Amino acid sequence: MIDRSYKKLLKLNRFPHTWCPGCGIGAVLKNVAIGLKELGWNEQNTTVVSGIGCSGRMAGYMNLDAVHTPHGRALTAAEAIKTVRPDLNVIVLSGDGDLGSIGGNHLLHTFRRNPDITVFCNDNEIYGLTGGQAGPTTPEGTKTITSPRGEHHQPLRLNRILTAKSPCFYARTTVYHVNHFKTCIREALLYKGFSFVDIISDCIELNGRRLGFKTAHQMFKWFDERFHIVEGVRDHLENDELGIVKKEAEVEVKAEAKTEVEGKLEVLIEGLKLLTLEELKHFDGTNGKPIYIGYKGNVYDISASPLFQGEKRMRCHIAGKDLTRDIETAPHGEDLVYHFPMVGRLKVKAEAEK
Amino acid sequence: MKQLVSGNEAIFQGALRAGARYFTGYPITPISEILQQAATHAEEDPEFKFLQAEDEIAAAIATISASLAGAKTFTATSGPGFTLMQEALGWGHAVEAPCVFINSMRVGPSTGMPTQPAQSDLLQIKAGSAGDYYPIAFYPNSVEESFRLTITAFNAAEESLSPVILLADAFLSHLYEVVDLNAIEAEVVPRAKEPLGRSRRLFTGTAHDRMGNVKTNDPEAYRDWLNDLKDRHLGVAEKYPLFEYFPGKNSEILLIAFGITSRIISPLKEQFSVFRPIRIYPVLEKELREIASSYRHIIVIEGNDGQYASWVEWATGRKVMRVPCLGGGFKLQWIRSQIEARLGEVR
Repeated sequence: MIDRSYKKLLKLNRFPHTWCPGCGIGAVLKNVAIGLKELGWNEQNTTVVSGIGCSGRMAGYMNLDAVHTPHGRALTAAEAIKTVRPDLNVIVLSGDGDLGSIGGNHLLHTFRRNPDITVFCNDNEIYGLTGGQAGPTTPEGTKTITSPRGEHHQPLRLNRILTAKSPCFYARTTVYHVNHFKTCIREALLYKGFSFVDIISDCIELNGRRLGFKTAHQMFKWFDERFHIVEGVRDHLENDELGIVKKEAEVEVKAEAKTEVEGKLEVLIEGLKLLTLEELKHFDGTNGKPIYIGYKGNVYDISASPLFQGEKRMRCHIAGKDLTRDIETAPHGEDLVYHFPMVGRLKVKAEAEK
Repeated sequence: MKQLVSGNEAIFQGALRAGARYFTGYPITPISEILQQAATHAEEDPEFKFLQAEDEIAAAIATISASLAGAKTFTATSGPGFTLMQEALGWGHAVEAPCVFINSMRVGPSTGMPTQPAQSDLLQIKAGSAGDYYPIAFYPNSVEESFRLTITAFNAAEESLSPVILLADAFLSHLYEVVDLNAIEAEVVPRAKEPLGRSRRLFTGTAHDRMGNVKTNDPEAYRDWLNDLKDRHLGVAEKYPLFEYFPGKNSEILLIAFGITSRIISPLKEQFSVFRPIRIYPVLEKELREIASSYRHIIVIEGNDGQYASWVEWATGRKVMRVPCLGGGFKLQWIRSQIEARLGEVR
């Protein structure tokens, strides 16, 4: 059966929503709600901020404390909320005009200061709510009501701007490439720092029809022609690529962090338990026991992970098992595991017997 | 311990006493010292957060958002920055966020005379943002009063759930006086508004009903909401009917001055009666009408071209005489000659 519990995160009593049939924003709202639900984020630990425009109305439909800011100011508001309340997960739901044009200055500087917030940008390349004016991301030559002979200026390349420094997290996806879209949402939510998901979305009524598309589905097919997915974590994205750009902090900082971790391990080793895989199975979070997983011969206590809270498994990862191979094939890196305390070592013999 | 303290220092210390945990601002003369103090304080106190914003728009938005998140917050600026903050000020009233905006006035319009004091942003406090809103504004005239009124402003903000404005001027910001701030006792109103991350509310600048549901074409709901807001703000303002009144002996003439102008004309107290409004907005309508009724002439002396004078005319229903001290020129001798000239015209 399909899991529809994400609907608890939506204010269904306010439906039907304000958006046109065929609009991509509905898909953004739904998939973000699913992403939040999977991580166990709810009204007790999450706040959503939005700006103005069609996409700015998303905050009003989220069943969380929501802040609907003046035009373009969503990032500033989100950063301030995160500064005062580091315990809250802060996400921004807004559009390309709001974030890239009127909020352009805030985008640059929030990106520079790198607060731990996640931004979902519904990038439909148009100002939809006001009737279809050219926006900052409208491709050159596109006809809109304010560029009747085609847009004269080059669009803002968010993929270039938001990958210009490290650390950074920038993902581009579309509402059509649903699995990729979901991966990007999850990765962005889990990223510690400023993460930006640029979601290429459709505005059929106020952009698509003028461009000659008859249905939203035709626009989706157009996205499929224009973009292709690139695998793995990149350090930049070309204009026709969908994927994830993730850059770590500068090299010097990284080296420092590494020595710190090594030092920590030395100290920890004395108190480590020696567990066999059989023993590891007991620590699956049931009956108030901690949740342990094995990774590369070590045992980590991941009880604090929001992914595993109250559940024995998160997608393909099962508590109380050696997850070395799982994590190697997972879309996220091994650094996720290192966030958690190491509590023991795996008995290699036991593994061999198996 | 008595210390030499500037107006800007007193404002910052007052905010700390009131429980402020977040300051954000953009450098501007004459309040850059507040920024500097906040940055230094944030390094020492991990509970206190500071952000040097990219512009005043961001500073004002961050002040209001951090307030919604649960902290007592404030920002400081001068006229040109206050102009950029107007957007957020309107939003702050719509989302009912308690916080304090400090505007230390300098000569305008635009960049004007950055180092010269003025009192020319009075209309901006009530009419700079779109739509109807009911701000509360105070204006001290000494370093000690800057400290006290900063706390009062925070209290009024918590009670009215709105951005309260504390006015100052370039003169007062940089005025040093000997005071013992620690000896000053002041009551602090704690935060009552529920912070973010507890429930399912929507804080929006779009018209909404009392529950926060967006209502963009419902005059009834809008009227209910706005009337609630107005009643609350005016009710809180009534709790702080702050003014000073020095009736002179056998004087037929009432001088009205506030902020630094009231300090400059204090030698005239022997000759004339003097009224100093401290709550600048909402205008002290009742008090002005009562006091003005026993005088033949009213002269308003202020650092702008008659902004408060027009409010006095509106409140009392009488013509008043104006002495505008423009371009940062606050000289007692000049003011005295202007008063004589005005009185000469009517005698």
